[in-house]
Amino acid sequence: MKAYTQIPPGTQILIGHAARRRRVLERALCSVFEGWSYEEIVPPIFDYYDVFIKGMGRGLEEQVYRFIDRDGNILALRPEFTSLVAKTAVTRLASAPKPIRLYYSGEVLRFEKPKGGRQREFAQIGVENLGGGKQADVEILLIAVESLQRLGISEFQINLGSVDFFGGIVDRIDLPEEQISRLKAVINLKDQPGLETLLQSLPLEERRKSILRAIPHLTGGREVLTEARGLIRNERSIQSLDHLEEIYTIFDKLGLARHLTIDLGEVRGFDYYTGILFRAYVPQLGFEVASGGRYDGLPATFGEDLTAVGFSFSLDRLEQIATPQLDVPDSQATEVNGDATGFEQALKLRRAGKAVKLCL
Amino acid sequence: MFVVAIAKGRLLELSLELFCKAGIEFADNVLTSRKLIFDAKDGKHRIVLVKPSDVPTYVEYGAADAGIAGLDVLMESRADVVQPLGLKFGYCKIAVAAQKGVTSLGGAELPTVRVATKYPNITMDFFNARGIPVEIIPLNGSIELAPLLGLADRIVDLVESGQTLKENGLEIVEVIAESSARLVVNRASYQIKRTEVLQFIGALQ
Repeated sequence: MKAYTQIPPGTQILIGHAARRRRVLERALCSVFEGWSYEEIVPPIFDYYDVFIKGMGRGLEEQVYRFIDRDGNILALRPEFTSLVAKTAVTRLASAPKPIRLYYSGEVLRFEKPKGGRQREFAQIGVENLGGGKQADVEILLIAVESLQRLGISEFQINLGSVDFFGGIVDRIDLPEEQISRLKAVINLKDQPGLETLLQSLPLEERRKSILRAIPHLTGGREVLTEARGLIRNERSIQSLDHLEEIYTIFDKLGLARHLTIDLGEVRGFDYYTGILFRAYVPQLGFEVASGGRYDGLPATFGEDLTAVGFSFSLDRLEQIATPQLDVPDSQATEVNGDATGFEQALKLRRAGKAVKLCL
Repeated sequence: MFVVAIAKGRLLELSLELFCKAGIEFADNVLTSRKLIFDAKDGKHRIVLVKPSDVPTYVEYGAADAGIAGLDVLMESRADVVQPLGLKFGYCKIAVAAQKGVTSLGGAELPTVRVATKYPNITMDFFNARGIPVEIIPLNGSIELAPLLGLADRIVDLVESGQTLKENGLEIVEVIAESSARLVVNRASYQIKRTEVLQFIGALQ
Protein backbone atom coordinates (compact mmCIF):
# COMPACT_ATOMS: atom_id res chain seq x y z
CA MET A 1 0.00 0.00 0.00
CA LYS A 2 1.43 3.32 -1.02
CA ALA A 3 1.42 6.23 1.35
CA TYR A 4 -1.59 8.51 0.81
CA THR A 5 0.80 11.44 0.52
CA GLN A 6 2.30 10.17 -2.71
CA ILE A 7 0.93 11.40 -6.00
CA PRO A 8 0.45 9.10 -8.99
CA PRO A 9 2.98 9.78 -11.79
CA GLY A 10 1.63 12.09 -14.44
CA THR A 11 -0.48 14.36 -12.25
CA GLN A 12 0.35 17.85 -11.09
CA ILE A 13 -0.98 20.47 -8.75
CA LEU A 14 -0.97 24.19 -9.53
CA ILE A 15 -0.93 26.54 -6.55
CA GLY A 16 -1.00 30.33 -6.09
CA HIS A 17 0.96 32.15 -8.76
CA ALA A 18 1.10 29.10 -11.06
CA ALA A 19 -2.68 28.65 -10.91
CA ARG A 20 -3.28 32.39 -11.38
CA ARG A 21 -0.99 32.37 -14.39
CA ARG A 22 -2.92 29.51 -15.95
CA ARG A 23 -6.22 31.36 -15.55
CA VAL A 24 -4.77 34.59 -16.95
CA LEU A 25 -3.50 32.70 -20.02
CA GLU A 26 -6.80 30.92 -20.36
CA ARG A 27 -8.82 34.14 -20.16
CA ALA A 28 -6.61 35.86 -22.72
CA LEU A 29 -7.06 33.00 -25.18
CA CYS A 30 -10.80 32.71 -24.54
CA SER A 31 -11.22 36.39 -25.30
CA VAL A 32 -9.39 35.94 -28.62
CA PHE A 33 -11.66 33.01 -29.49
CA GLU A 34 -14.76 34.95 -28.51
CA GLY A 35 -13.51 37.82 -30.63
CA TRP A 36 -13.79 35.49 -33.63
CA SER A 37 -17.37 34.54 -32.63
CA TYR A 38 -16.56 31.18 -31.07
CA GLU A 39 -18.83 30.01 -28.28
CA GLU A 40 -17.74 27.96 -25.34
CA ILE A 41 -18.62 24.30 -25.02
CA VAL A 42 -18.08 22.46 -21.73
CA PRO A 43 -18.05 18.78 -22.66
CA PRO A 44 -18.10 15.86 -20.21
CA ILE A 45 -14.89 14.48 -18.74
CA PHE A 46 -15.82 10.96 -19.89
CA ASP A 47 -17.70 9.43 -22.77
CA TYR A 48 -17.95 6.08 -24.55
CA TYR A 49 -14.53 4.71 -25.42
CA ASP A 50 -15.56 4.21 -29.08
CA VAL A 51 -16.23 7.93 -29.50
CA PHE A 52 -12.53 8.64 -29.10
CA ILE A 53 -11.12 5.59 -30.84
CA LYS A 54 -13.09 6.28 -34.02
CA GLY A 55 -11.27 9.53 -34.46
CA MET A 56 -7.85 9.19 -32.91
CA GLY A 57 -7.11 5.87 -34.50
CA ARG A 58 -6.06 2.55 -33.12
CA GLY A 59 -2.46 3.66 -32.57
CA LEU A 60 -3.59 5.60 -29.52
CA GLU A 61 -5.72 2.91 -27.94
CA GLU A 62 -3.18 2.17 -25.26
CA GLN A 63 -3.00 5.81 -24.23
CA VAL A 64 -6.64 6.00 -23.26
CA TYR A 65 -7.71 5.66 -19.62
CA ARG A 66 -10.74 3.45 -19.86
CA PHE A 67 -13.10 1.85 -17.40
CA ILE A 68 -16.30 -0.10 -17.33
CA ASP A 69 -19.47 1.30 -15.81
CA ARG A 70 -22.05 -0.72 -13.88
CA ASP A 71 -24.02 -1.47 -17.05
CA GLY A 72 -20.94 -2.97 -18.68
CA ASN A 73 -20.30 -0.08 -21.08
CA ILE A 74 -16.70 0.77 -21.86
CA LEU A 75 -16.06 4.40 -21.05
CA ALA A 76 -12.97 6.55 -21.35
CA LEU A 77 -11.63 9.69 -19.71
CA ARG A 78 -11.34 12.19 -22.55
CA PRO A 79 -7.92 11.99 -24.23
CA GLU A 80 -8.79 14.95 -26.50
CA PHE A 81 -11.70 17.31 -27.19
CA THR A 82 -12.12 17.20 -30.96
CA SER A 83 -14.14 13.97 -31.05
CA LEU A 84 -16.47 15.24 -28.33
CA VAL A 85 -17.02 18.54 -30.10
CA ALA A 86 -17.59 16.88 -33.49
CA LYS A 87 -20.09 14.46 -31.97
CA THR A 88 -21.99 17.29 -30.27
CA ALA A 89 -22.04 19.36 -33.46
CA VAL A 90 -23.71 16.63 -35.52
CA THR A 91 -26.12 15.53 -32.80
CA ARG A 92 -27.28 18.26 -30.42
CA LEU A 93 -26.43 21.03 -32.89
CA ALA A 94 -27.54 19.24 -36.05
CA SER A 95 -30.01 21.97 -36.99
CA ALA A 96 -27.83 24.92 -35.97
CA PRO A 97 -26.78 27.32 -38.74
CA LYS A 98 -23.36 26.56 -40.17
CA PRO A 99 -20.59 27.09 -39.53
CA ILE A 100 -20.70 26.02 -35.92
CA ARG A 101 -17.88 27.72 -34.01
CA LEU A 102 -16.96 26.27 -30.63
CA TYR A 103 -14.09 26.62 -28.19
CA TYR A 104 -13.17 24.59 -25.12
CA SER A 105 -10.69 24.65 -22.27
CA GLY A 106 -9.97 21.84 -19.87
CA GLU A 107 -7.95 18.82 -18.91
CA VAL A 108 -7.41 15.73 -21.02
CA LEU A 109 -5.80 12.47 -19.98
CA ARG A 110 -3.41 10.25 -21.86
CA PHE A 111 -1.32 7.43 -20.55
CA GLU A 112 2.00 8.54 -22.00
CA LYS A 113 5.47 9.41 -20.80
CA PRO A 114 5.35 12.85 -19.16
CA LYS A 115 7.49 14.97 -21.44
CA GLY A 116 8.16 18.58 -22.32
CA GLY A 117 6.08 19.97 -19.48
CA ARG A 118 3.12 17.80 -20.32
CA GLN A 119 1.96 15.36 -17.69
CA ARG A 120 -0.51 12.51 -18.21
CA GLU A 121 -3.23 14.93 -17.26
CA PHE A 122 -2.72 18.14 -19.19
CA ALA A 123 -4.65 21.24 -20.14
CA GLN A 124 -5.81 21.94 -23.67
CA ILE A 125 -7.56 25.01 -24.98
CA GLY A 126 -8.72 25.22 -28.55
CA VAL A 127 -11.31 25.93 -31.22
CA GLU A 128 -13.25 23.89 -33.75
CA ASN A 129 -15.00 25.19 -36.86
CA LEU A 130 -17.60 22.80 -38.25
CA GLY A 131 -19.25 23.35 -41.60
CA GLY A 132 -17.11 26.36 -42.50
CA GLY A 133 -15.73 24.91 -45.72
CA LYS A 134 -12.17 25.24 -46.90
CA GLN A 135 -11.77 28.94 -46.14
CA ALA A 136 -12.16 28.07 -42.47
CA ASP A 137 -8.54 26.88 -42.63
CA VAL A 138 -7.44 30.50 -42.94
CA GLU A 139 -9.74 31.59 -40.11
CA ILE A 140 -8.27 28.93 -37.82
CA LEU A 141 -4.70 29.87 -38.71
CA LEU A 142 -5.42 33.56 -38.13
CA ILE A 143 -6.87 32.75 -34.70
CA ALA A 144 -3.69 30.83 -33.86
CA VAL A 145 -1.59 33.80 -34.97
CA GLU A 146 -3.62 36.33 -32.99
CA SER A 147 -3.51 34.09 -29.91
CA LEU A 148 0.27 33.94 -29.97
CA GLN A 149 0.49 37.69 -30.53
CA ARG A 150 -1.95 38.33 -27.69
CA LEU A 151 0.38 36.47 -25.37
CA GLY A 152 3.19 38.80 -26.43
CA ILE A 153 5.01 36.18 -28.44
CA SER A 154 6.29 38.02 -31.50
CA GLU A 155 8.58 35.36 -32.87
CA PHE A 156 6.85 32.12 -33.79
CA GLN A 157 6.69 29.74 -36.70
CA ILE A 158 3.72 27.81 -37.98
CA ASN A 159 4.70 24.64 -39.76
CA LEU A 160 2.01 23.96 -42.35
CA GLY A 161 1.53 20.76 -44.31
CA SER A 162 -1.29 18.70 -45.76
CA VAL A 163 -2.03 15.00 -45.42
CA ASP A 164 -3.36 15.08 -49.00
CA PHE A 165 0.02 15.77 -50.55
CA PHE A 166 1.57 12.57 -49.18
CA GLY A 167 -1.80 10.82 -49.40
CA GLY A 168 -2.11 11.51 -53.13
CA ILE A 169 1.31 10.01 -53.70
CA VAL A 170 0.74 6.82 -51.71
CA ASP A 171 -2.74 6.37 -53.21
CA ARG A 172 -0.96 5.38 -56.39
CA ILE A 173 1.50 3.07 -54.72
CA ASP A 174 0.50 -0.51 -54.27
CA LEU A 175 2.10 -1.41 -50.95
CA PRO A 176 0.84 -3.14 -47.80
CA GLU A 177 -0.38 -0.85 -45.01
CA GLU A 178 2.64 -1.73 -42.89
CA GLN A 179 5.11 -0.48 -45.50
CA ILE A 180 3.16 2.74 -45.89
CA SER A 181 3.39 3.34 -42.12
CA ARG A 182 7.12 2.74 -42.26
CA LEU A 183 7.42 5.27 -45.08
CA LYS A 184 5.37 7.71 -43.05
CA ALA A 185 7.57 7.16 -40.00
CA VAL A 186 10.87 7.90 -41.76
CA ILE A 187 9.41 10.89 -43.64
CA ASN A 188 8.05 12.23 -40.38
CA LEU A 189 11.61 12.19 -38.96
CA LYS A 190 13.00 13.63 -42.22
CA ASP A 191 15.27 10.64 -41.90
CA GLN A 192 17.06 10.76 -45.24
CA PRO A 193 19.37 7.75 -44.72
CA GLY A 194 16.51 5.70 -43.24
CA LEU A 195 14.28 6.59 -46.19
CA GLU A 196 17.02 5.58 -48.63
CA THR A 197 17.45 2.17 -46.96
CA LEU A 198 13.69 1.61 -46.96
CA LEU A 199 13.28 2.66 -50.61
CA GLN A 200 15.96 0.23 -51.68
CA SER A 201 13.92 -2.62 -50.25
CA LEU A 202 10.62 -1.53 -51.85
CA PRO A 203 9.44 -2.72 -55.28
CA LEU A 204 8.68 0.74 -56.69
CA GLU A 205 9.37 2.48 -59.98
CA GLU A 206 12.34 4.84 -59.91
CA ARG A 207 10.05 7.83 -60.62
CA ARG A 208 8.00 7.11 -57.50
CA LYS A 209 11.11 6.62 -55.43
CA SER A 210 12.49 9.96 -56.51
CA ILE A 211 9.24 11.67 -55.46
CA LEU A 212 9.32 10.03 -52.04
CA ARG A 213 13.00 10.84 -51.69
CA ALA A 214 12.26 14.52 -52.24
CA ILE A 215 9.50 14.87 -49.61
CA PRO A 216 11.69 15.48 -46.52
CA HIS A 217 13.35 18.40 -48.36
CA LEU A 218 10.07 20.02 -49.34
CA THR A 219 10.05 22.51 -46.53
CA GLY A 220 10.46 26.29 -46.67
CA GLY A 221 8.63 29.18 -48.34
CA ARG A 222 6.50 29.43 -51.47
CA GLU A 223 9.31 27.97 -53.62
CA VAL A 224 8.59 24.58 -52.03
CA LEU A 225 5.17 24.51 -53.68
CA THR A 226 6.66 25.24 -57.09
CA GLU A 227 9.24 22.52 -56.60
CA ALA A 228 6.56 20.04 -55.51
CA ARG A 229 4.44 20.82 -58.59
CA GLY A 230 7.33 19.71 -60.75
CA LEU A 231 7.30 16.32 -59.08
CA ILE A 232 3.71 15.14 -58.97
CA ARG A 233 0.86 14.61 -61.40
CA ASN A 234 -1.94 13.18 -59.27
CA GLU A 235 -5.04 15.27 -58.70
CA ARG A 236 -5.21 14.94 -54.90
CA SER A 237 -1.66 16.18 -54.37
CA ILE A 238 -2.11 18.98 -56.90
CA GLN A 239 -5.26 20.18 -55.14
CA SER A 240 -3.47 20.19 -51.80
CA LEU A 241 -0.70 22.33 -53.30
CA ASP A 242 -3.29 24.74 -54.77
CA HIS A 243 -4.88 25.10 -51.38
CA LEU A 244 -1.57 25.63 -49.57
CA GLU A 245 -0.65 28.21 -52.19
CA GLU A 246 -3.93 30.00 -51.58
CA ILE A 247 -3.27 30.11 -47.83
CA TYR A 248 0.30 31.27 -48.39
CA THR A 249 -0.87 34.06 -50.71
CA ILE A 250 -3.38 35.30 -48.15
CA PHE A 251 -0.75 35.23 -45.41
CA ASP A 252 1.62 37.09 -47.69
CA LYS A 253 -0.95 39.83 -48.33
CA LEU A 254 -1.58 40.14 -44.60
CA GLY A 255 2.15 40.51 -43.94
CA LEU A 256 2.23 37.24 -42.02
CA ALA A 257 4.08 35.01 -44.47
CA ARG A 258 7.29 35.18 -42.44
CA HIS A 259 5.54 33.16 -39.72
CA LEU A 260 4.59 30.38 -42.13
CA THR A 261 6.78 27.45 -43.16
CA ILE A 262 5.39 25.06 -45.74
CA ASP A 263 6.37 21.52 -44.80
CA LEU A 264 5.13 18.80 -47.13
CA GLY A 265 6.87 16.20 -44.99
CA GLU A 266 4.52 17.05 -42.11
CA VAL A 267 2.58 13.79 -41.94
CA ARG A 268 2.18 13.33 -38.18
CA GLY A 269 -1.03 13.40 -36.24
CA PHE A 270 -4.20 11.55 -35.41
CA ASP A 271 -5.84 9.38 -38.06
CA TYR A 272 -8.76 11.80 -38.30
CA TYR A 273 -6.85 14.50 -40.17
CA THR A 274 -7.87 14.90 -43.81
CA GLY A 275 -6.42 18.16 -45.11
CA ILE A 276 -4.09 20.79 -43.68
CA LEU A 277 -2.03 20.00 -40.61
CA PHE A 278 -0.05 22.51 -38.61
CA ARG A 279 2.10 22.97 -35.54
CA ALA A 280 3.27 26.19 -33.91
CA TYR A 281 6.75 26.62 -32.46
CA VAL A 282 8.23 29.41 -30.34
CA PRO A 283 11.93 30.13 -29.68
CA GLN A 284 12.05 29.21 -26.00
CA LEU A 285 10.63 25.70 -26.18
CA GLY A 286 11.79 22.50 -27.88
CA PHE A 287 8.24 21.21 -28.33
CA GLU A 288 5.29 22.62 -30.28
CA VAL A 289 2.88 24.81 -28.31
CA ALA A 290 -0.11 24.33 -30.60
CA SER A 291 -1.25 21.90 -33.23
CA GLY A 292 -4.27 21.36 -35.39
CA GLY A 293 -5.69 20.62 -38.79
CA ARG A 294 -8.63 19.59 -40.90
CA TYR A 295 -10.65 16.48 -40.05
CA ASP A 296 -13.54 16.31 -42.50
CA GLY A 297 -14.07 12.60 -42.04
CA LEU A 298 -14.73 12.69 -38.31
CA PRO A 299 -18.21 14.28 -38.19
CA ALA A 300 -19.35 11.70 -40.77
CA THR A 301 -18.46 8.86 -38.41
CA PHE A 302 -21.05 10.38 -36.05
CA GLY A 303 -23.67 10.57 -38.79
CA GLU A 304 -23.35 13.85 -40.70
CA ASP A 305 -20.96 14.89 -43.37
CA LEU A 306 -19.54 18.23 -42.23
CA THR A 307 -16.28 19.99 -42.98
CA ALA A 308 -14.24 20.49 -39.84
CA VAL A 309 -11.02 22.21 -38.83
CA GLY A 310 -9.55 23.20 -35.49
CA PHE A 311 -6.50 23.52 -33.31
CA SER A 312 -5.52 23.53 -29.68
CA PHE A 313 -2.87 25.01 -27.44
CA SER A 314 -1.10 23.08 -24.76
CA LEU A 315 -1.51 25.34 -21.73
CA ASP A 316 1.14 23.45 -19.75
CA ARG A 317 3.66 24.29 -22.43
CA LEU A 318 2.61 27.91 -22.84
CA GLU A 319 3.12 28.29 -19.10
CA GLN A 320 6.80 27.49 -19.53
CA ILE A 321 7.54 30.40 -21.81
CA ALA A 322 7.65 34.10 -21.09
CA THR A 323 4.43 35.89 -22.00
CA PRO A 324 5.42 39.51 -21.42
CA GLN A 325 2.00 40.99 -22.26
CA LEU A 326 0.30 39.09 -19.49
CA ASP A 327 0.87 40.42 -16.02
CA VAL A 328 -0.10 38.09 -13.27
CA PRO A 329 -0.56 40.57 -10.40
CA ASP A 330 0.08 39.55 -6.82
CA SER A 331 -2.77 39.97 -4.42
CA GLN A 332 -3.17 43.57 -3.15
CA ALA A 333 -5.37 43.04 -0.15
CA THR A 334 -5.90 45.40 2.78
CA GLU A 335 -5.01 43.68 6.04
CA VAL A 336 -7.55 44.00 8.87
CA ASN A 337 -7.67 42.50 12.34
CA GLY A 338 -9.62 39.34 12.91
CA ASP A 339 -11.80 40.82 15.67
CA ALA A 340 -15.28 42.35 15.93
CA THR A 341 -14.26 45.76 14.55
CA GLY A 342 -12.06 44.06 11.98
CA PHE A 343 -14.93 41.95 10.64
CA GLU A 344 -17.07 45.07 10.28
CA GLN A 345 -14.26 46.87 8.47
CA ALA A 346 -13.74 43.83 6.26
CA LEU A 347 -17.40 43.77 5.21
CA LYS A 348 -17.26 47.46 4.38
CA LEU A 349 -14.20 46.97 2.22
CA ARG A 350 -15.75 43.97 0.50
CA ARG A 351 -18.91 45.93 -0.28
CA ALA A 352 -16.68 48.54 -1.91
CA GLY A 353 -15.18 45.75 -4.00
CA LYS A 354 -11.78 45.83 -2.25
CA ALA A 355 -9.70 42.77 -1.41
CA VAL A 356 -9.20 42.09 2.28
CA LYS A 357 -6.97 39.81 4.26
CA LEU A 358 -7.93 39.06 7.83
CA CYS A 359 -4.99 38.75 10.23
CA LEU A 360 -5.94 35.63 12.14
CA MET B 1 23.92 30.69 -30.77
CA PHE B 2 23.51 27.26 -32.35
CA VAL B 3 24.09 24.56 -29.74
CA VAL B 4 25.27 21.09 -30.75
CA ALA B 5 25.42 18.15 -28.31
CA ILE B 6 28.09 15.53 -28.96
CA ALA B 7 29.41 12.62 -26.95
CA LYS B 8 33.08 12.40 -26.05
CA GLY B 9 35.07 9.79 -27.90
CA ARG B 10 35.46 8.74 -31.50
CA LEU B 11 32.34 10.55 -32.78
CA LEU B 12 33.64 13.78 -31.26
CA GLU B 13 37.02 13.48 -32.96
CA LEU B 14 35.43 12.85 -36.35
CA SER B 15 32.84 15.57 -35.86
CA LEU B 16 35.54 18.10 -34.98
CA GLU B 17 37.36 17.25 -38.21
CA LEU B 18 34.15 17.96 -40.15
CA PHE B 19 33.61 21.22 -38.25
CA CYS B 20 37.19 22.26 -38.95
CA LYS B 21 36.73 21.68 -42.68
CA ALA B 22 33.56 23.78 -42.53
CA GLY B 23 35.48 26.59 -40.82
CA ILE B 24 33.97 26.04 -37.36
CA GLU B 25 37.00 26.16 -35.08
CA PHE B 26 37.54 26.28 -31.35
CA ALA B 27 40.17 28.15 -29.32
CA ASP B 28 40.35 25.39 -26.69
CA ASN B 29 41.49 21.88 -27.34
CA VAL B 30 38.08 20.25 -27.09
CA LEU B 31 39.54 16.75 -26.95
CA THR B 32 41.79 17.27 -23.95
CA SER B 33 40.10 20.06 -22.01
CA ARG B 34 37.88 19.13 -19.06
CA LYS B 35 35.33 21.80 -19.85
CA LEU B 36 31.91 20.69 -21.09
CA ILE B 37 30.92 23.79 -23.09
CA PHE B 38 32.96 25.22 -25.97
CA ASP B 39 32.19 28.28 -28.06
CA ALA B 40 33.43 28.38 -31.62
CA LYS B 41 35.62 31.25 -32.81
CA ASP B 42 32.85 32.35 -35.17
CA GLY B 43 30.69 33.22 -32.14
CA LYS B 44 27.76 31.36 -33.69
CA HIS B 45 28.28 27.74 -32.70
CA ARG B 46 28.62 26.09 -29.33
CA ILE B 47 29.25 22.45 -28.57
CA VAL B 48 28.33 20.72 -25.36
CA LEU B 49 29.76 17.37 -24.34
CA VAL B 50 27.30 14.84 -22.99
CA LYS B 51 26.99 11.09 -22.52
CA PRO B 52 26.26 9.28 -25.82
CA SER B 53 22.85 8.04 -24.73
CA ASP B 54 21.92 11.55 -23.54
CA VAL B 55 22.36 13.24 -26.93
CA PRO B 56 18.76 12.52 -28.09
CA THR B 57 17.39 13.83 -24.79
CA TYR B 58 19.23 17.17 -24.99
CA VAL B 59 18.04 17.60 -28.56
CA GLU B 60 14.44 16.46 -28.07
CA TYR B 61 13.95 18.95 -25.23
CA GLY B 62 15.66 21.73 -27.18
CA ALA B 63 18.46 22.21 -24.61
CA ALA B 64 20.65 21.66 -27.68
CA ASP B 65 19.47 22.63 -31.16
CA ALA B 66 21.23 19.70 -32.77
CA GLY B 67 23.32 16.68 -31.89
CA ILE B 68 25.46 13.98 -33.37
CA ALA B 69 24.62 10.44 -32.30
CA GLY B 70 24.76 6.88 -33.55
CA LEU B 71 21.62 5.30 -34.99
CA ASP B 72 21.77 2.71 -32.18
CA VAL B 73 21.37 5.45 -29.57
CA LEU B 74 18.55 7.09 -31.54
CA MET B 75 16.63 3.86 -31.99
CA GLU B 76 16.97 3.02 -28.34
CA SER B 77 15.89 6.46 -27.12
CA ARG B 78 12.80 6.67 -29.40
CA ALA B 79 13.26 10.44 -29.20
CA ASP B 80 11.12 12.54 -31.50
CA VAL B 81 13.85 14.47 -33.31
CA VAL B 82 14.41 15.33 -36.95
CA GLN B 83 17.17 13.27 -38.56
CA PRO B 84 18.05 15.14 -41.74
CA LEU B 85 21.55 13.85 -42.42
CA GLY B 86 23.53 10.62 -42.24
CA LEU B 87 27.23 11.17 -41.58
CA LYS B 88 29.84 9.02 -43.16
CA PHE B 89 31.42 7.69 -40.01
CA GLY B 90 30.68 5.64 -36.94
CA TYR B 91 29.72 2.60 -39.00
CA CYS B 92 28.76 -0.53 -37.07
CA LYS B 93 25.99 -3.09 -36.80
CA ILE B 94 23.35 -3.66 -34.16
CA ALA B 95 23.10 -7.44 -34.10
CA VAL B 96 21.79 -10.46 -32.29
CA ALA B 97 24.69 -12.75 -31.39
CA ALA B 98 25.07 -16.10 -29.69
CA GLN B 99 27.64 -18.77 -28.97
CA LYS B 100 29.36 -20.17 -32.05
CA GLY B 101 27.23 -22.73 -33.83
CA VAL B 102 23.90 -21.18 -32.79
CA THR B 103 22.20 -19.94 -35.93
CA SER B 104 18.62 -19.12 -34.88
CA LEU B 105 17.03 -16.41 -32.78
CA GLY B 106 15.78 -19.16 -30.47
CA GLY B 107 12.05 -18.70 -31.02
CA ALA B 108 11.50 -22.30 -32.09
CA GLU B 109 13.53 -24.00 -29.34
CA LEU B 110 13.11 -21.84 -26.28
CA PRO B 111 9.83 -20.93 -24.54
CA THR B 112 11.31 -17.51 -23.73
CA VAL B 113 14.60 -16.26 -25.11
CA ARG B 114 16.77 -14.57 -22.48
CA VAL B 115 18.59 -11.67 -24.14
CA ALA B 116 21.34 -9.67 -22.46
CA THR B 117 21.70 -6.14 -23.81
CA LYS B 118 22.17 -2.47 -23.14
CA TYR B 119 19.46 -1.83 -25.78
CA PRO B 120 16.23 -3.08 -24.14
CA ASN B 121 13.92 -1.10 -26.48
CA ILE B 122 15.61 -2.17 -29.70
CA THR B 123 15.67 -5.76 -28.48
CA MET B 124 12.03 -5.73 -27.44
CA ASP B 125 10.89 -4.19 -30.75
CA PHE B 126 12.92 -6.66 -32.80
CA PHE B 127 11.77 -9.82 -31.03
CA ASN B 128 8.17 -8.61 -30.60
CA ALA B 129 7.91 -7.99 -34.34
CA ARG B 130 8.80 -11.65 -34.86
CA GLY B 131 6.45 -12.92 -32.18
CA ILE B 132 9.25 -14.36 -30.08
CA PRO B 133 8.85 -13.98 -26.30
CA VAL B 134 11.95 -12.48 -24.67
CA GLU B 135 13.21 -11.76 -21.22
CA ILE B 136 15.47 -8.74 -21.33
CA ILE B 137 18.52 -8.95 -19.08
CA PRO B 138 19.78 -5.39 -18.82
CA LEU B 139 23.57 -5.02 -18.68
CA ASN B 140 25.79 -1.98 -19.09
CA GLY B 141 28.96 -3.53 -20.48
CA SER B 142 30.84 -6.75 -21.27
CA ILE B 143 27.63 -8.08 -22.79
CA GLU B 144 29.63 -10.91 -24.43
CA LEU B 145 30.05 -12.53 -21.04
CA ALA B 146 26.36 -13.24 -20.58
CA PRO B 147 25.99 -16.32 -22.87
CA LEU B 148 29.33 -17.71 -21.64
CA LEU B 149 28.19 -17.70 -18.04
CA GLY B 150 24.72 -18.97 -18.84
CA LEU B 151 23.11 -15.64 -17.92
CA ALA B 152 21.47 -15.27 -21.36
CA ASP B 153 20.72 -17.29 -24.51
CA ARG B 154 21.42 -14.43 -26.91
CA ILE B 155 22.82 -10.93 -26.79
CA VAL B 156 21.96 -7.76 -28.70
CA ASP B 157 24.94 -5.49 -29.05
CA LEU B 158 26.93 -3.17 -31.31
CA VAL B 159 29.38 -4.98 -33.54
CA GLU B 160 32.17 -3.04 -35.23
CA SER B 161 34.84 -5.42 -36.53
CA GLY B 162 33.44 -8.54 -34.89
CA GLN B 163 36.77 -9.14 -33.17
CA THR B 164 35.39 -9.01 -29.61
CA LEU B 165 32.66 -11.48 -30.49
CA LYS B 166 35.16 -13.83 -32.12
CA GLU B 167 37.60 -13.76 -29.22
CA ASN B 168 34.78 -14.71 -26.88
CA GLY B 169 33.50 -17.54 -29.03
CA LEU B 170 30.37 -15.68 -30.24
CA GLU B 171 28.93 -15.10 -33.69
CA ILE B 172 26.32 -12.85 -35.29
CA VAL B 173 22.94 -14.60 -35.68
CA GLU B 174 21.09 -11.74 -37.36
CA VAL B 175 21.78 -8.07 -38.05
CA ILE B 176 19.02 -5.80 -36.70
CA ALA B 177 20.27 -2.58 -38.32
CA GLU B 178 23.33 -1.01 -39.88
CA SER B 179 24.23 1.95 -37.72
CA SER B 180 26.20 5.09 -38.47
CA ALA B 181 26.39 8.59 -37.08
CA ARG B 182 23.42 10.89 -37.67
CA LEU B 183 22.86 14.58 -37.35
CA VAL B 184 19.69 15.15 -35.33
CA VAL B 185 17.83 18.43 -34.92
CA ASN B 186 15.21 19.60 -32.45
CA ARG B 187 11.80 20.06 -34.09
CA ALA B 188 11.33 23.63 -32.87
CA SER B 189 14.89 24.63 -33.80
CA TYR B 190 14.30 23.14 -37.24
CA GLN B 191 11.54 25.72 -37.72
CA ILE B 192 12.72 28.68 -35.68
CA LYS B 193 16.43 28.55 -36.57
CA ARG B 194 15.89 27.39 -40.13
CA THR B 195 18.79 29.35 -41.68
CA GLU B 196 21.29 28.16 -39.09
CA VAL B 197 20.09 24.57 -39.43
CA LEU B 198 20.42 24.58 -43.21
CA GLN B 199 23.87 26.20 -42.99
CA PHE B 200 24.97 23.61 -40.47
CA ILE B 201 23.68 20.73 -42.59
CA GLY B 202 25.47 22.23 -45.59
CA ALA B 203 28.70 22.48 -43.61
CA LEU B 204 28.58 18.82 -42.63
CA GLN B 205 27.73 17.50 -46.09
